[in-house]
Amino acid sequence: MPEATPKPEELVQINYDPHEKDWRKTRPEFRKGTFCHAALPKDVKYLGLPNPRDWQPPDVDWKLPPNWKEIILQGMKERLEKFRSFRLFMDICVRCGACADKCQFFLGSGDPKNMPVLRAELIRSVYRRYFTTTGKLFRGLAGARDLTEDVIKEWFYYFYQCSECRRCSVFCPFGIDTAEITMMVRELLNLVGVNTNWVIGPVANCYRVGNHLGIQPHGFKDSIDFAVDDLEEITGVRVEAPINRKGAEVLFIVPSADYFATPHYYTLLGYLMLFHEIGLDYTFSAYAAEGGNFGLFSSHELAKRLNAKMYAEAKRLKVKWILGGECGHMWRVVNQYMDTMNGPADFLEVPVSPFTGTRFENTRSTKMVHICEFTSDLIYHNKLRLNPSRNDHWKVTFHDSCNPARGMGLLEEPRYILRKVCNHFHEMPENTIREQTFCCGSGAGLGSDENIEARLRGGLPRANAVKYVRDKHGVNLLTCICAIDKATLPTLLEYWTPGVDVGGIHELLGNALIMKGEKERTTDLRGQPLQQKSEAVHA
Amino acid sequence: MPGISPSQKQAIAERWLAVALETYPAQSRQFLEGEKDPFRNPVGQSLRTQIPKLVDELFGDMDPQRLGQALEELVRLRAVQQFTPREALGFLFLLKPICREELPADAQARAELEDRIDEIALVGFDIFVRCREQIYEIRANEAKRRVALLERMNPEAGR
Ligand code: SF4
Ligand code: SF4
Repeated sequence: MPEATPKPEELVQINYDPHEKDWRKTRPEFRKGTFCHAALPKDVKYLGLPNPRDWQPPDVDWKLPPNWKEIILQGMKERLEKFRSFRLFMDICVRCGACADKCQFFLGSGDPKNMPVLRAELIRSVYRRYFTTTGKLFRGLAGARDLTEDVIKEWFYYFYQCSECRRCSVFCPFGIDTAEITMMVRELLNLVGVNTNWVIGPVANCYRVGNHLGIQPHGFKDSIDFAVDDLEEITGVRVEAPINRKGAEVLFIVPSADYFATPHYYTLLGYLMLFHEIGLDYTFSAYAAEGGNFGLFSSHELAKRLNAKMYAEAKRLKVKWILGGECGHMWRVVNQYMDTMNGPADFLEVPVSPFTGTRFENTRSTKMVHICEFTSDLIYHNKLRLNPSRNDHWKVTFHDSCNPARGMGLLEEPRYILRKVCNHFHEMPENTIREQTFCCGSGAGLGSDENIEARLRGGLPRANAVKYVRDKHGVNLLTCICAIDKATLPTLLEYWTPGVDVGGIHELLGNALIMKGEKERTTDLRGQPLQQKSEAVHA
Repeated sequence: MPGISPSQKQAIAERWLAVALETYPAQSRQFLEGEKDPFRNPVGQSLRTQIPKLVDELFGDMDPQRLGQALEELVRLRAVQQFTPREALGFLFLLKPICREELPADAQARAELEDRIDEIALVGFDIFVRCREQIYEIRANEAKRRVALLERMNPEAGR
């Protein structure tokens, strides 16, 4: 927007309603800070996706293929036939508005097109125009509109301001899942080469090397070795962290940020301590060194390609079952899609904890257990010695990450662990946690740098609830079990709720875990001095 | 401004809240105005709670700390929403016409009041600029955390 210096009397003449037009005709304003950069042609090419070229969202000409309209409509037709849910979601919305105020992007921006009902309407209107009789006949009167390049731009803008968090679906009486609609639209955009660098870059890396950052196997080994050294310094115990070891019982898969970023890294230390202490027979894989799957944020086909390596590595390493770390959307893929995409994993066994004998029947089809299920089961059976006072410097709250919470119903296990490993745990207000949890505002490929303002808007409701427990209980640590959360919540809180750090559940577990042969702990896993040294042992 | 009644203050706060809400698109206003749960409507909540505080200060002590806190909450929000700087801060100046209409006053009292409003706007401007600068800082910090371990492993890299 041009910003000529206004005269003083103009200062009060604000345009109150910059957006107040017929919503079907509004073209989005690509304001810096609200959109992600376009994918690089080299990555698009590498993945064999259509229409690699140089372009950016603010450009007038997006260099779509000449027959782009045909491609999109054909793509819609195919998906309407293939996915019954898609057709259903297009047809059955009664515009009751129950979902309208449930999206954190709407709550933080006040932009009506971020209401789930209107977000979906952006494609529903096109569906009506080309795929329903009334829409074909009555056009605008039936809420239908023509597919134009502006519509494509609008789709890009708003479907990349949806984090596929599914919060809205919790409130829809018909169970319409706007996240699924977003996935469909992103697939369609993909067909004409409209995708983002923050998604396609990591997908290309992961497809080539096995993780989003493009770290080579020796780099992966270096950082795991580094963690082992670090741990020895902190605890006096030398742990083993096997990589690519054939015949191990368990394959352990983490999001790559765990071995490169903070605060994720402290959680990695916690896993390593735990596995050493109980003597788990496990291995990492340098090729399945990424639990995350950014393919999910672009298309089912890409998600499937990246997911395949998990089972491929499990097979190659001849493990019995898979254990997965603190990751968000990995669990969405595992729970909802892996079995049909790349399964069934008949060559694996139904996971059984070698320490408690618990059979994880819930993972009977995927053969993959969440680390919080695994650890809470150990604690429940008194298999760990814990000193929660080593976390007394933390006043803790817990953010339910969208995917584990709404995607797999993992609500109690992390809380159970937290209550055993720390003494000060305070819940945020009830309508902001569990199934109703607010998204960090950066999921589904939105955690980029250039769209920071959109993220800060989307993250406001979460940060606002954290602020409440900060002010009321002195909370200074927000825990979570998702790598995207750990990357982006610190940024969010720095802006909205300063004074609150972000950490993982297994970081706190690591602090509390009493290891055989350990030296007296003087610091936590971050190297911060411990507040108290009382040895009140639980279990 | 001595002698202003609570009901006058309230009237000013209400009108001001209404015009602040009007800076948002029409389809959203009803919600921002109507939803009273602070966690389900953080933007509406901030406007509703902070605007009366500002009005109190305007007709009270102009206490820098209280003024700063109330402004901070509002401006921090508007600094990241879809506003140009003048749209983000312009609502502060809208106090002037509202006060003019609500309070018949002599020229001197009016001038004094408008000076105070200017002062509020200037503080708001400071906060706005600080927030915009902070956005760059938090981006840089995030980028550092993203590869924090790499840097610890290779302290020389990237220097
Ligand atoms: S971000 Fe979440 S709540 Fe908002 S539309 Fe997308 S899935 Fe629904
Ligand atoms: S709650 Fe469901 S039916 Fe109601 S407007 Fe939203 S998507 Fe449509």
